[in-house]
Amino acid sequence: MSGQATEISAEAAVLPEVRRRPRRSKHRPAWEGRPSVGGQALKFVVLALVVLAVAFPLYTVVLTSLSTQAETIRVGGLVTVPGELTFSAYTQILNGGIVTRAALVSTFVTIVGTILSTTVSVMGAYGLSRPGSFAHRPILFVFLITMFFGAGLIPTYLLVSSLGLINSYWALILPGAVSAFNVLILRNFFMGIDISILDAARIDGAGDWRILGRIVLPMSRAVVAVVALFYGVGYWNAFFNAILYINDNAKWPLQLVLRSYVLQGVTLPGSGVGQVDVATGAVTGMPVKMAVMVLAIVPILIVYPFVQRHFTKGVIFGAIKG
Amino acid sequence: MSLSELVRRRPPGDPGSPGKPRGAAPPAPPAPVPTRKIGWRVRLKRDRSLLLMVTPAIVLLGVFAYVPMLGNVIAWQDYSPYTGFLRSPYVGWAHFERVFSNPLFVDAVANTLIITAFQLVFFFPIPIFLALLLNSVITPRTRTTIQAIVYLPHFFSWVLVVTVFQQIFGGAGLINQTLRDHGLGSGFDMMTNPDTFLILITMQSVWKDAGWGIIIFLAALSTVPPEQYEAAAVDGANRWRRMWHISLPALRPVIILLLILRLGDALTVGFEQLILQRQAVGADVSEVIDTYVYFQGVVYGDWSFAAAAGLVKGVVSLALVLGANKLAHVFGESGVYKRA
Amino acid sequence: MNATPTFGRLGDHAVDRRRFLGLIATGAAVVGIPGLLTACSTTAPSAGSSSAAAGDVIPKYIPVTYIDPDYPSVNGSVPGYETIPPELVQSVKDAPGTGVVYTAMTPLWGTIPPTKGNKYYEAVNELLGSEIQFQITDGNVYGDKLATVLASAKDVPDWVSIPSWNLPPRFGADIVENVFQDLTPFLAGDKVTPYANLANIPSDAWKFCVFNGKLYGLPFPGEVITNATFYRQDVLEGLGITPDVKNGQDLIDLAVELTGGSVWGAEDLWTTAAIIHAVPPKWKLDGDTLVHRVETEEYRAALEWNAALFASGAVHPDAVADQTGDAKARFQSGKSLITADGVGGWHEALRDNLTSNPSYWQQPFEPFDAAGGTPVLWKGNPADIFSFLKKTDDEDRIKELIAMANVLAAPFGTTEYDTISSGVEGVHYTRGADGLPVPTELAATELQPTYIFLVDPPMSETHVQYPGYVKAASEWKANAAQYATDPLFYAQQIVEPQEYASIGQPFVDLEKDISRGRKSMDDLDAAIETWQTSGGEELRAFYQDILDQQS
Repeated sequence: MSGQATEISAEAAVLPEVRRRPRRSKHRPAWEGRPSVGGQALKFVVLALVVLAVAFPLYTVVLTSLSTQAETIRVGGLVTVPGELTFSAYTQILNGGIVTRAALVSTFVTIVGTILSTTVSVMGAYGLSRPGSFAHRPILFVFLITMFFGAGLIPTYLLVSSLGLINSYWALILPGAVSAFNVLILRNFFMGIDISILDAARIDGAGDWRILGRIVLPMSRAVVAVVALFYGVGYWNAFFNAILYINDNAKWPLQLVLRSYVLQGVTLPGSGVGQVDVATGAVTGMPVKMAVMVLAIVPILIVYPFVQRHFTKGVIFGAIKG
Repeated sequence: MSLSELVRRRPPGDPGSPGKPRGAAPPAPPAPVPTRKIGWRVRLKRDRSLLLMVTPAIVLLGVFAYVPMLGNVIAWQDYSPYTGFLRSPYVGWAHFERVFSNPLFVDAVANTLIITAFQLVFFFPIPIFLALLLNSVITPRTRTTIQAIVYLPHFFSWVLVVTVFQQIFGGAGLINQTLRDHGLGSGFDMMTNPDTFLILITMQSVWKDAGWGIIIFLAALSTVPPEQYEAAAVDGANRWRRMWHISLPALRPVIILLLILRLGDALTVGFEQLILQRQAVGADVSEVIDTYVYFQGVVYGDWSFAAAAGLVKGVVSLALVLGANKLAHVFGESGVYKRA
Repeated sequence: MNATPTFGRLGDHAVDRRRFLGLIATGAAVVGIPGLLTACSTTAPSAGSSSAAAGDVIPKYIPVTYIDPDYPSVNGSVPGYETIPPELVQSVKDAPGTGVVYTAMTPLWGTIPPTKGNKYYEAVNELLGSEIQFQITDGNVYGDKLATVLASAKDVPDWVSIPSWNLPPRFGADIVENVFQDLTPFLAGDKVTPYANLANIPSDAWKFCVFNGKLYGLPFPGEVITNATFYRQDVLEGLGITPDVKNGQDLIDLAVELTGGSVWGAEDLWTTAAIIHAVPPKWKLDGDTLVHRVETEEYRAALEWNAALFASGAVHPDAVADQTGDAKARFQSGKSLITADGVGGWHEALRDNLTSNPSYWQQPFEPFDAAGGTPVLWKGNPADIFSFLKKTDDEDRIKELIAMANVLAAPFGTTEYDTISSGVEGVHYTRGADGLPVPTELAATELQPTYIFLVDPPMSETHVQYPGYVKAASEWKANAAQYATDPLFYAQQIVEPQEYASIGQPFVDLEKDISRGRKSMDDLDAAIETWQTSGGEELRAFYQDILDQQS
């Protein structure tokens, strides 16, 4: 943050010293200078603040999910100081096998949907990435339009219904299978690839399918991983399509089932309901709501490292070579 | 010959070759394809596999986006779901007039644009900054750990985000309670103050989505060959210069693209976030186009009104994107799509 | 049809429903909101034109009593029962169904139960003789589902539950006649006699099911008095305060007195303000002229009162920030001590708190008038949820479904009621030492209230498990019921012209703004003027016509 001149001199001063020092970060490349103390401290402070701002609420959410209902009523909100801890919120949700079933449905829809969407989008993006190719501008326009003009609930429902997709898992996949935004992102990255590489391959007789599969894709791992993550998260979190299109409750995806746990215990006042709360007993308190929140995040926590691996692949690859 | 060899081949004239840090130009400009000289038949034949690749996406969009989009004809009808699209009576531009005739609409547009402009300045750059910062953290474990934490709030619902903010910044929240306990007055209730609402919702958006926004920039940064940094370092470029001359240019195309698309979304600002806090600060500062349409149309099942408003919004958004795209061309950027 | 507060019996759950709106972990719940907020802030435009002749089409009221209540109904109040009777009566001797499968669409505010191998469903289906296959939808977004399904006639199930706040626009005009079965020929007048449990449903509830002069719906009857103002009696006793609230000022004074430290006296008491000032739900007759709710002196006075309450500083800051979703949590944790809630919220609060805090007690204030006069309590909707049968030429099919509805409408004291509400003994509950049913773990998964959204018996107060509750609640309700008054157009389904549907919307915001001191009474005057010129006068004429036809 200080002036550039001082930065330079600081670096210059440290550089020769670095070579003599035996202890250095094994991650820092040989050519990398030793960072200035001030810069490091600043960086540390900023990152620590950012992490803290996120971690504290996260901690209260997890802690609340592990607290008793009585504790949350006592404090009147999210719990910040650990009291009596219990897993009852989680067992309440996971009992009965419905959640397990729904998790399978969601996993299936997410995997199939992500593969389909990513494949179609990568192909579409590559197909539009060559400057001057036939009709690419009107086609791009066709994509762009879909970002700004939506369709109402009813026409979409009528379409899905007339295609016979009511109660089918495809109704959860196909209507949102292609996101123009993701196609544009992919295309943007593809266009950043040096065209001379592609031209060289073309001269060597490689067709577009081969170029896509053997050159463009390997060079674009990071962005493909990101787009797959976008699609995957979208499929995993989607529940509204299921509300409209899935009548068979056994086919509900996980998010819809988890939603229903948050609603539990809202007994409607009324005659027939008179004894219902005696019968079910279970009440949705803060702990269950927060447990639902945590359960929804867990799969994303599991998947993310796999996505992230692709971010550094290129760097490692280059490093070996360099 | 092997194709994988080609991948490893260092691009000729590549900025990575030892030399001075390059100016702020994107990687080698693609060789212009002389389209004018080639007839369309030839191009069609030449590009047929490209077209084939686009086909599945077009079919999916055609069926699941364009067909239902035809339902927007209800914007010109006195639509009733039971009567259907074909038989509902035609009413001309009446619904469009309703959209514009309400004075509340003007306020909603103004609020929307203010919020968009504010967030463009105070939200949009933050993920870029964070991505650069994270990218400069060299220990992979630290980097990935931080990354894996900061993106999580994206998966929190807005209700939870608002609750968390209320418990910290609210009149009975952590901060004010502490102030009260120490006899420092009841402080300042940020959650119900219309004057600071803009700051509040931007803080919330940053907290929720900035970490998630990093991802795409990190992906862009990972495409930069380390040799470029190495070469620049050998040439004596310090960290700032390397960031300025290598990292930022690598991000530039995606920044421009996102900026343009964000402009296209200028009329769309956090619907759920605003509706949840509408009554805390009043509709005067929190009414935006989407909430206006919601409360004037959707709530009452007035599908025609909602469709008309949606069409107006779509036209303006498209115009904004195309305009921004033109502007990008003027500055020599490729934007959403290049000039042929 | 606009800024009426949530007076419906289910309206007292609007708060909960709103809270659920995004506590869901998913990111994009936006589309889910419409149905939900509709329920919170507005009453959906009702449908079906009024009919002076509603009396001819509604079923005859033939009350049955299987068990004498300990607290009988007074002026239509809900009767109370102190004990669960040991001997139950089977009200319908033979299962009426023919072993067919019928589909039914219902909302659910609860955990989704397994549909296959569900012993609770099996037990109830056995009582019915035919199987009801449920298509359950999240109650918060039920309106969206309904709108789409009703637009596609082939997807409409045999039996559809429709909460009154989810009635789609033009329901009465277009939909009901084309999609649903006219039940008049099957149930009008004496024809209901073979269905004793349906005949036991009071006339007002049936009257509310009449659209375009014909009987279409089966009702889920409502409570006469829907809302109350509660205070934490246990906490106040601890402070040595015995509240004596006789008028509006007393209540504000009490709230101020209770405020201090990290405790505030009150939540947002707009509902209370409307009740104690007798703000009419929709229209009021002033001489010969119809006066809309927002034009009345009562409305103005209620706003002024609520603004005074906020100005006093006695309202919890989170309530000022309109975090209504957590209002109950604040009240139950003692951070605020006075709140307005539906009467059904009373026993729910006991259910949620008595285990961890055995001394917990909340008590409603006895009804009072803001100026200390005689209170006027407007009756709530006589039914809050209806169900409809899909139109068919097959009369036997309709008869069978009605006979099944008759089983589902079995009142307290019957074996049917017992099974529908508690499931199967030994499977879903066991009898405790005190004779009360103790739910098993299976009940938590299988037993979700789903049949109740099809048809319901009249209400009864049977929460015997909370000591002292049935007595307190029944006495309060009996006392309050003496002030119950029919609002204008009570129990009538009226289709308002669609173009005026949203003109009342600004008042929803205005109520919040004026209460919080962001806007003044001048703004109210301006809004009323806008309302009058943008359709209010036409609406007045429209209602005047109906009134003229009826007199």
